[in-house]
Amino acid sequence: MVLLTNPIYSALSLGLVLVCISLFYILSNSHFVAAAQLFIYVGAINVLILFAVMFMNGSEYYKDFNLWTIGNGLTSLVCTSILVSLITTILDTSWYRIIWTTRSNQIIEQDLLSNSQQIGIHLAIDFFLPFEFISIILLVALIGAIVVDRQ
Amino acid sequence: MMLEHILVLNAYLFSIGIYGFITSRNMVRALMCLELILNAVNINFVTFSDFFYSRQLKGNIFSIFVIAIAAVEATIGSTIVSSIYRNKKSTRINQSTLLNK
Repeated sequence: MVLLTNPIYSALSLGLVLVCISLFYILSNSHFVAAAQLFIYVGAINVLILFAVMFMNGSEYYKDFNLWTIGNGLTSLVCTSILVSLITTILDTSWYRIIWTTRSNQIIEQDLLSNSQQIGIHLAIDFFLPFEFISIILLVALIGAIVVDRQ
Repeated sequence: MMLEHILVLNAYLFSIGIYGFITSRNMVRALMCLELILNAVNINFVTFSDFFYSRQLKGNIFSIFVIAIAAVEATIGSTIVSSIYRNKKSTRINQSTLLNK
């Protein structure tokens, strides 16, 4: 995705990545987040990014040749080292011992509820305050985007 | 075994996102790589929520908040990019004084 030169190809491959990530959510037994990802990320954010790409002047990107500069090489070296250190940390941690020691007792009647019902319960009772704050943030962002775009 | 596979995949996506974000000469490409980074972190949250908190779903809730915040940030980012483009007609990322009047 980052190596494609045309930004429209890059935006479409981002859409493909987001759809595949939604499939990962289904694999992790969290169906509500999969549907939310599919609606919000692919349906709204990807379309927004495509609009932003298409508003830019398209003719100046075909002569934007991909020079492999020293900065690119240094960044790829740093990113590869970050990746290698993360992978060694992941493979060295014994995850199953952590599962064993933090096994919480499960309430029996919560097993009969589906995933989205559980999320609804948690949002309305335990996490009510972040829910309200996020709705306020969305409202403020909407008003701000309209105000900036008006001039 | 499955947990480590997904975590390795997330580390890979995260490093690709960081690489693309730093070496992008185009602001919209930087926005796209930021979405990639946030998605990689989201899969991590949901995977840990699946493995450790099977019925409490704490990681799931937080990942929904992260999706909402990423939507807000993509909106405002594209607004700023379009206003920069309207003023200066180019979106090279090494011209960082573009929002001055």
